[in-house]
Amino acid sequence: MAEIVAAALMSHAPLITGKPEVQKPEQRDRFYAGYREIRRRLVAARPDLIMMFVNDHLQNFAYSNMPAFCVGLVDAYDAPSPGGARLMRLPARKVPGAPDWGMALLEEGLSVGFDFAYTYEVESWDELSVPLHFLLPDADIPVATLYINCGAPPLPTPRRCHAVGAFVGSFIQSRPTTERIAVLATGGLSHWVGTPDNGRINEEWDHWVLDHVTRADVEPLARLTWEEIERDGGNGGQEIRNWVAALATVPGWKGETLAYAPVAEWITGCATVWMHR
Amino acid sequence: MTRKTSYGLNKLLTGLAKEHATRERMTEADLAGHTLNADERAALESGDITRLYHLGANPYLIRRVFRPRFKV
Repeated sequence: MAEIVAAALMSHAPLITGKPEVQKPEQRDRFYAGYREIRRRLVAARPDLIMMFVNDHLQNFAYSNMPAFCVGLVDAYDAPSPGGARLMRLPARKVPGAPDWGMALLEEGLSVGFDFAYTYEVESWDELSVPLHFLLPDADIPVATLYINCGAPPLPTPRRCHAVGAFVGSFIQSRPTTERIAVLATGGLSHWVGTPDNGRINEEWDHWVLDHVTRADVEPLARLTWEEIERDGGNGGQEIRNWVAALATVPGWKGETLAYAPVAEWITGCATVWMHR
Repeated sequence: MTRKTSYGLNKLLTGLAKEHATRERMTEADLAGHTLNADERAALESGDITRLYHLGANPYLIRRVFRPRFKV
């Protein structure tokens, strides 16, 4: 039987790598160390595949056709593309996908009532490129993705994201294989991007989220409304949906915050969390 | 009810963001062929990022395209 052997949650932002020159280098070093510790533990867990809950930033999905949930059936992700590489100051590269695994997830979803969209092509922005730069430097483990609309409202409810995550968890455990799966979510915590409050970070809300993750108390996160998140976590805080979905794959697992840093230059409350069984 | 969305603004900005293009302000050529009202045109041509937000442009797209307008 397939098994979830690791789970982790972490922020993404293009300037995490795009602007390493920050006023408080100790914040940067602490946060980078968090990514590297996840890398170390991930390698030790020996996953065959990494399942990632992420969100697009209007790079792939446009207002002409906007999916709430979209399964990646991608052979290889641009992570990043040559264009994205400049701003993120990363080398352009491809990261292997898991299209057969994604197709199995898609078909099972459709058969039980999760009507996912799907895509055969993804040019990732920071949602994959930045964390995988640290976690998967050799691009040697295939990545499956489920894209959740966190950036083009109206958005799916956190409650629905929880249900989708729970479905993905049960899908993994129902697989007639011995594959070892790592589940990751990227995004959050609070950030205001491109709004009149651009650059704001709400440390209080970030700690509120981390506190619930630490205690495996997911219900208050699943109960959040778009308005509450927009008010307390900003438009970027809406990415907490990815975390809620990942948490639902591993009910009862408790988070260990490896690092938290509200980095002003990255305009994001940045956290890395490892989940313990 | 979530916030106001302008399809015209977002369609224009999406095209530029996909090309990784940035602007301080839009030119007549940028706007050619797009369906935009007078307020939207004025905000684009002056690079008024706050006004664009209130007119229903997606903030991620405002950030991407009008990057030079942001202090942080």
